[in-house]
Amino acid sequence: MSTSNPGSTAPAWVSAAANQSRLAFGLAVTELAGRDASVVAIGADTLDLLGLRKMMERHPERVIDVGIAEQNAMGVASGLATTGMRPFVCGYAPFITARSMEQLRNDVAYARQRVVIGAAASGISLGVSGATHHALEDLAVTRSMPGMTVVVPADAHQAWHATLATDDVDGPVYIRLGGRVEEAVATPVEGPIRIGRADRLHDGNDVTVIACGVLVAPALEAARSLGKDGIGVRVLNMHTIKPLDREAVLAAAAETRGIVTAEEHYVTGGLGGAVAELLAVEHPTRMRMVAMPDENSVVGPTPKVRARYGMSAESIVAACRALVGG
Amino acid sequence: MTGNMEAKLAGLRDHARDIRRNALRALHAAGSGHVGGSLSAADLLAALYFHHLRLRPHEPDWAGRDRFVLSKGHANAALAAVLAQAGFFSEDALDTFYGYESSLGMHPDIKVPGVEMSTGGLGHGLSVGIGMALGARLQGLDFRTIVMVGDGELQEGSNWEAAMSATHLGLAGLTAIVDYNKIQQSGNVGEMLDLEPLADKWRAFGWAVREIDGHDMAEVVDALDALPYDTRRPSVIVAHTVKGKGLSFAEGTYLWHSNMVTDEIYAKAMAELGESA
Ligand SMILES: Cc1ncc(C[n+]2csc(CCOP(=O)(O)OP(=O)(O)O)c2C)c(N)n1
Repeated sequence: MSTSNPGSTAPAWVSAAANQSRLAFGLAVTELAGRDASVVAIGADTLDLLGLRKMMERHPERVIDVGIAEQNAMGVASGLATTGMRPFVCGYAPFITARSMEQLRNDVAYARQRVVIGAAASGISLGVSGATHHALEDLAVTRSMPGMTVVVPADAHQAWHATLATDDVDGPVYIRLGGRVEEAVATPVEGPIRIGRADRLHDGNDVTVIACGVLVAPALEAARSLGKDGIGVRVLNMHTIKPLDREAVLAAAAETRGIVTAEEHYVTGGLGGAVAELLAVEHPTRMRMVAMPDENSVVGPTPKVRARYGMSAESIVAACRALVGG
Repeated sequence: MTGNMEAKLAGLRDHARDIRRNALRALHAAGSGHVGGSLSAADLLAALYFHHLRLRPHEPDWAGRDRFVLSKGHANAALAAVLAQAGFFSEDALDTFYGYESSLGMHPDIKVPGVEMSTGGLGHGLSVGIGMALGARLQGLDFRTIVMVGDGELQEGSNWEAAMSATHLGLAGLTAIVDYNKIQQSGNVGEMLDLEPLADKWRAFGWAVREIDGHDMAEVVDALDALPYDTRRPSVIVAHTVKGKGLSFAEGTYLWHSNMVTDEIYAKAMAELGESA
């Protein structure tokens, strides 16, 4: 973990992002736009949601908000990419995946266009908005498409680095971001991130927790708490769901007694599914999945809704205990 | 105008003020929310629920009831307010807005009495309304279907698929109301993605169109009374409105699309809206 003190040494984006990954994404796109004249932001009435006002001031001609029209946004991005531009689509996770899924599948993924999608308000980060606005299937949708890279930053720091790292990805990238709430810090300000390579955040040889996004901080909390009882927990921040870091997963399966996955997504098709698909074939391993059950989510403040469905440190602890029999 | 009509309009204006007060009550309980689009729709909702729609609040599933779908679901505070005032549930329920496990969240939920469809994702209601109007026709029922859409919402292409379909199917029992407040989430509709000429677009899609001032109660009532405008085609009321109508600080700015409703804002709002009659 970082020992740096963000107060004195941190670059300007850190305070501007205010521990919100959606804002870090917009700031990083703005940064990239300053370096690379081909970078364009495509909004869908999302200028504030993705923090694009600064980019509008600096590069007004390269911020194109097409209005509340996600399908059009995705198709436009694909067309732009064919001409050599680098579009960053800025949307709400529930709408930019479900509403424009076919444009994403055909025009972006199948056509292998270099489009980055920043998907804010994922999971149940907009708790009070209710189920129409909870995005709990977006990872299943995006990771099922050949050629997609799917990244779930653990916090605002990682969202910044992941967005910059798209420089090196030759293909479409889906970046899952949070809502209008502060996210716990789980990774260092200075990064770095290597897309496709998990970060080991805590060592232990009894059980492994593979977490992504807002469940990384609770995973660390769970590891510390179990450590006090003598249970050694390895924590992997699996920020890239696709391509999955097979080596890290297989090593965990070989070196620890079981694997717990933790994510803010339906149990169907998310990180847990990706890990299970690999292990079932390569190294059958006892697993537990901390994820949203197959139910429509209730309305309420995000922390309460998360806790209700067990997306918490307590659930991770319980799942780990179940695996090590302690 | 007759004295009777004057009294009727005055009563509807009182209902509209109460919708605004109750919407703010809900949003204050929530702490934040969609003030602008709730207030712009308040006069239209008052005329719909207290003059036009045939409903039985104590028998919400009555098969013959008229159907109203709030496609711009984020204005749920106003819908919840009018449903409570109409007697579908207690006004006290408004204090649970956004609450944990509440059935009154940011968007309408079909499990709430009086709510005909869960909405929230924009651009769904008009197609659902076509289905309802078709259902009436196929079953020989005479209920009418009204769908309220936002102007920003009309940027979604799905609306225009529905617009073509409704004409093709000859659904005179379907009416769309556009809450044309000229503002969406991030700015002015005209600057983000202009809809003009909006009335002509509907005409070109085959709809019978009427344009009104959506805050002039006499015009609103008149436009509803005259429905359907054609016996073989769907009707649309393009209602020119003001986002945030009724609150000086919220009128005409995207900043009040959604915002915090603190104790201070709430007190100010109640003072501006005036006491219930
Ligand atoms: C498909 C979809 N995309 C985006 C949103 C987010 N959103 C909620 S309200 C809104 C603006 C709506 O503007 P308008 O229809 O003009 O509503 P009004 O001004 O009447 O409040 C947006 C973009 C959404 N709810 N659904």
